Amino acid sequence: MNQVLAIIQRELRHELRSRKAWLAIMLYTGSTVYISYLGLQGNTDSAAHNAVFWLLIIFISMFATSGSFAGRESEMFYIYTLVSPGRFILARLIYNGLFLLSVSLLAFICFQFFVGFNDTNLLLFLTALLLTVWGISSLLTMSFSIASKGGGGFTLMAIISFPLLVPLLITAQHLSEMAVNGSDVTGYGGYVAALLALDAMIAALCYLLFPYLWRD
Amino acid sequence: MIKKDIFSKSYWKYACVVFLTYTVIAGFLMPVPALEILHETIRNLYFHVCMWFSMMFILTVSLVYSIRYLNKPNEDYDIIASQTSYVGLAFGILGLITGSLWARYTWGAWWTNDPKLNGAAIALLSYFAYVVLRNAMDDEQKRARISAVYNIFAYVMMITFVMIYPRLKEVDSLHPGNGGNPGFNKYDLDSHMRMVFYPAVIGWLLLCCWVASINIRTERIKRHLQNQ
Repeated sequence: MNQVLAIIQRELRHELRSRKAWLAIMLYTGSTVYISYLGLQGNTDSAAHNAVFWLLIIFISMFATSGSFAGRESEMFYIYTLVSPGRFILARLIYNGLFLLSVSLLAFICFQFFVGFNDTNLLLFLTALLLTVWGISSLLTMSFSIASKGGGGFTLMAIISFPLLVPLLITAQHLSEMAVNGSDVTGYGGYVAALLALDAMIAALCYLLFPYLWRD
Repeated sequence: MIKKDIFSKSYWKYACVVFLTYTVIAGFLMPVPALEILHETIRNLYFHVCMWFSMMFILTVSLVYSIRYLNKPNEDYDIIASQTSYVGLAFGILGLITGSLWARYTWGAWWTNDPKLNGAAIALLSYFAYVVLRNAMDDEQKRARISAVYNIFAYVMMITFVMIYPRLKEVDSLHPGNGGNPGFNKYDLDSHMRMVFYPAVIGWLLLCCWVASINIRTERIKRHLQNQ
């Protein structure tokens, strides 16, 4: 456990130290939200807003994840010799989950500020966001590990992660649409359970399969 | 050494030819229930549904061999895992084409937002990604290990999705047998269709294995020649 915490701390320090990365992500988030605001002007259809929002979340997550890993292979090699792969991936999942959650919260706030959903059930929407982004982050962490081992970088990561993201996103979209169009929210439990199940499944797969990527 | 195994036996290939000949002849000529909307398109059951069965079967074989590879890195397991997933992809495409044609004449559209279609789309996209991933790497052992990891990941995600999604509210499928539409077993009161459907499933499964076995044996020879 201490090792896990130590890795998380280390990652956090690294992230905070590199201002460039933080600024890049914030700028990316702000500008993509603003572009979608320009595109959505005059459109009051909550379904369209919802679709655009989730698209933004995917692209921002991709950008943020690949940014936080890029150019650090030599450091990784150093960590390989110190901790077991299981602990390493655990720390990675927790850190990356928290990181993407804060980025997507920022995106949500920006989106509310510029575009704005009309009649939002905030609690339900944030639940959907939390569960989905957690799943996305684990999935992207794993995809990025696979892609970087495959020597493909960002393009390969996008190719192999998009199909796997679909289940999460379809469920998230159904759930968040309930939250934004002001209709009744009966039956949301099923979607929440589905998202939880997907998250658990992805985390378990990462934990089980990561050691095989690690071995070289 | 190239192994002699069940792939080089021919009895099951004759069985496959017999079953499929029967499927095509009986499938087009045997009586089917006369129904509104469906009419003669109900015969697609003998082709379309079997494609998906074959795909799921062969992709499961691929999964098993990926797991076995991770357990014990044996080159032959990688050959089987990769070649079976390519065949699964091919059968998936056939399933999509037969389904799409059918949907055009019964539902009126080539593609609909149906849980089963979404599942199929995910399956095909992730296995295309598998092909891309394999081609991105040159080192054989690394390629085998990493693609095995991805194969397991993709398969489990796909199955989870296919199991969870249809249970959710408001996502009823338009497919016969789902969402209040009667399945073929409700129409097939005199079991005429079963007499063709079951042999058809066996025939297509055997064909799927046959194609896979040819692929696997070719790949084995290729690797064998490379290593010399």
